[in-house]
Amino acid sequence: MSRLALLLLALAVPLVQGRIDRVLGEFRAQHEALYLWSGEQVRRVAPGLEGLAADVYWLRTVQYFGGQRAFAGGKRFDLLQPLIEITVTLDPRMEIAYRYGAIFTAEPSPIGAGRPRDAVALLERGVRALPDNWALRQDLGFYHFLFLKQPQEASRILFDASEMPGAPYWLKSLAASVLAKGGDRATARRMWSVIAEQSAGQIKSNALLHVQVLDALDEADRLTKLVAEYARRGGRNPTSLEDLRRAGWLGRMPLDQSGTPFEYDQRTGRVSVSRRSPLWRPGF
Amino acid sequence: MGTGGLSRVAAVAANTFRETVRERVFYNLLIFAVLMTLSGLLMARLSIRQQDKIIKDLGLACIDVFGIVIAIFIGVGLVAKELERRSLHPLLAKPLTRDEFFLGKFAGLGMTLLVNVAVMTAGLYLTLWTVESRPDPRMLKGIYALYLGLLLIVSLALLLSTLTSTTMAALVTLCLVVAGRFSDVIRNMRVVAPAVPDWLVQALYYAIPNFRNFDFKDRIAYGDPVPLAALGWVTLYAAVYIGIVLGVGARVFRSKDLV
Amino acid sequence: MSQASGNTPGVPAIQVSSLSKSFPTGWLGLDRRLVLRDLSLVVHHNEIFGYLGPNGSGKTTTLKILMGLLFPDRGSVTILGSPLGSAAWRYRCGFLPEHPYFYDYLTAREYLDYVGRLFSLPAALRAERARDLLERVGLAQVAGIPLRRFSKGMVQRLGIAQALMNDPEIVFLDEPMSGLDPIGRHLVRNIILELKRRGRTVFFSTHILSDAETLCDRVALLRSGELLKVGRLDEILGLDVLHLEVVISGVDGAVLAALPGVKQRHSMGERWRLDVEEPALGSVVRAVEAAGGRILSVYPVRQSLEEYFFKEMAGSESDEREWGLAD
Repeated sequence: MSRLALLLLALAVPLVQGRIDRVLGEFRAQHEALYLWSGEQVRRVAPGLEGLAADVYWLRTVQYFGGQRAFAGGKRFDLLQPLIEITVTLDPRMEIAYRYGAIFTAEPSPIGAGRPRDAVALLERGVRALPDNWALRQDLGFYHFLFLKQPQEASRILFDASEMPGAPYWLKSLAASVLAKGGDRATARRMWSVIAEQSAGQIKSNALLHVQVLDALDEADRLTKLVAEYARRGGRNPTSLEDLRRAGWLGRMPLDQSGTPFEYDQRTGRVSVSRRSPLWRPGF
Repeated sequence: MGTGGLSRVAAVAANTFRETVRERVFYNLLIFAVLMTLSGLLMARLSIRQQDKIIKDLGLACIDVFGIVIAIFIGVGLVAKELERRSLHPLLAKPLTRDEFFLGKFAGLGMTLLVNVAVMTAGLYLTLWTVESRPDPRMLKGIYALYLGLLLIVSLALLLSTLTSTTMAALVTLCLVVAGRFSDVIRNMRVVAPAVPDWLVQALYYAIPNFRNFDFKDRIAYGDPVPLAALGWVTLYAAVYIGIVLGVGARVFRSKDLV
Repeated sequence: MSQASGNTPGVPAIQVSSLSKSFPTGWLGLDRRLVLRDLSLVVHHNEIFGYLGPNGSGKTTTLKILMGLLFPDRGSVTILGSPLGSAAWRYRCGFLPEHPYFYDYLTAREYLDYVGRLFSLPAALRAERARDLLERVGLAQVAGIPLRRFSKGMVQRLGIAQALMNDPEIVFLDEPMSGLDPIGRHLVRNIILELKRRGRTVFFSTHILSDAETLCDRVALLRSGELLKVGRLDEILGLDVLHLEVVISGVDGAVLAALPGVKQRHSMGERWRLDVEEPALGSVVRAVEAAGGRILSVYPVRQSLEEYFFKEMAGSESDEREWGLAD
């Protein structure tokens, strides 16, 4: 090949490369800063295999926190943070990693690390990496409501989420009801149900558990109302829930979703979830 | 070159291909088959919601890595071995020109890689099928781009083997491949090292073969589109760059004294 | 196979003019070591030309330049009227390199087929020629065996076969007898002689002088990169008879002692072999007959190539120093 031909080809290289950068650039969602500031040795060692490496870390994360140990104590949540961090640095578009990491970072011990603010930060990172993703924003909104108790912020975020492509139709109404009703239990229950529906495995079981807790509280409230009604009619509080049953107001002895009987305080007339029940939560 | 030349290139290519078959290069396919089977079985047991992605990632990474290893380590030996053993000597006395020989070697290894990649691709689709994933035709586009990258690596290995020993050639080619995968870092170097002059950064960026051009793996894994226009430009890039590398390599080879 | 045809009269088969070649040497490769010095020779059509010299004299270098494997510093070469660079003559020549190596993952038949493809021979012709040539070099039985199992002698024979695959007009052979047993050497000799009979030209290099003596029409003697002599063997060696070997019987010791002009005497049982100087032949014959003995044979001995060679080589040490040749 003549020298002229070689020279012409050499000049063509930057031109073609420039074209490629323009054509492919619009889809290159990663921030350039992520590539430079991530301290991850894995990425340095295996350029071009980031996707696979992220999978590996994801597998490790799931295996460490998964299986039978979902609700067991003694887990080290200080490992969760770095594992998730590495996974999403290697593959910033791994949606599942953000959602999974967020749940177990936010949930109080012993289920999770009990750091809702960190969870929110993680979800925010996910939202930045996947700006059109409605599910991450939904989770972010939920978390503001469920963990940070900030209904205003939650509602705003949920509204944003409902605008995203592919967002389910009921997200808007949920956003509206969050704003309207403030911090009520029905909304929370709805959010947990949504999460349960969208997920599988541990996340699902965790969400369902929350739903059961709220259901138990609803049931306790309903029973309390029954007691009040009985007291109003009979002039005094019943001695126990057994009275209500004998009076025909209850079909059988009420149990919460875990099968534990409710507690009844005769003095205050309040029915509450038993302390012995796994569904008992402090503050209720 | 003429039709005679083309048939001679084809003869050299076919013989090179035959050599790789008989020298058992294709054993790597066995390893690949084992890996794919294991991963398929493993994924079926653990339902962790990412089966597709993990199998695709693993499969594509294997095709990539095996391809690179073959391209470099066999590539550097293609011409060097013939020189060292003097099997080239009786052949060059025939009407075969040095250019034809050089190109024929390139084409032969290109064929080997094509067969290798094709078989692994089929294996990957098969594994995905067994975990009931829907076959994704876009993966073929990504693999095509990957194959272009492998051809570029072969040409680099060939060029370097004419300039230096096979060990050095393999090392330098490997370094170029790694550097080429970090092209984005090179391009954005000034964020961490503002003292580096812009012209130097630009020169490095364009001179070092940009292997990220051939990497569509994350797009495939996440269902992003792989536009044909982009593939077209990437093919052109590969053609131009390979043309340069082979052109220079052939020139060096042409004027070598074969002691 | 057809006779060689249509060569322009007056155009030699090979013409080498002032060929010089040096190789880089020394630490950075900056020094040059002169390997061929101003070589000029001509090879005519239909002759067997021997290119002779000790190891390291530059024979292989010359052949490699002819084959385009090395590039000369100076000088020019034409083969069959075409310059080195043109590819035209390559269709008409065959080459066997020194220490040939072929692809050990191929069989003999496959290798010849590959060579045939490089000559653009059609498939049927390739197969037929391969069969014939393997037969001729005695490899017909092992045609389908991979070359990695071939002995050195078998590889050498395959080398001859591949050199003839295109039915060449000129055949270049570098040390064609090396690695061959006596049967193999006999085979190669016959092939070379047959090539001559069919009008081909053979250019072969060797350091084994006895081969050259019996085969070559003309020879070139190479010493340390320089041509000593080129020409017909009998011209070089001279027509002069050195002495005569006379075998006699029936003569006793006393008579023998009295014979004039006898340089040496060898006993062969009851016969004697005498080395007799030429002028004294007549008187020796008469003396033996007069003593009642019998003359069994008279054989003239000329200078051998080997003797000539050693004589010429012996004068070379001072010259080597002059050229700065380190070896």
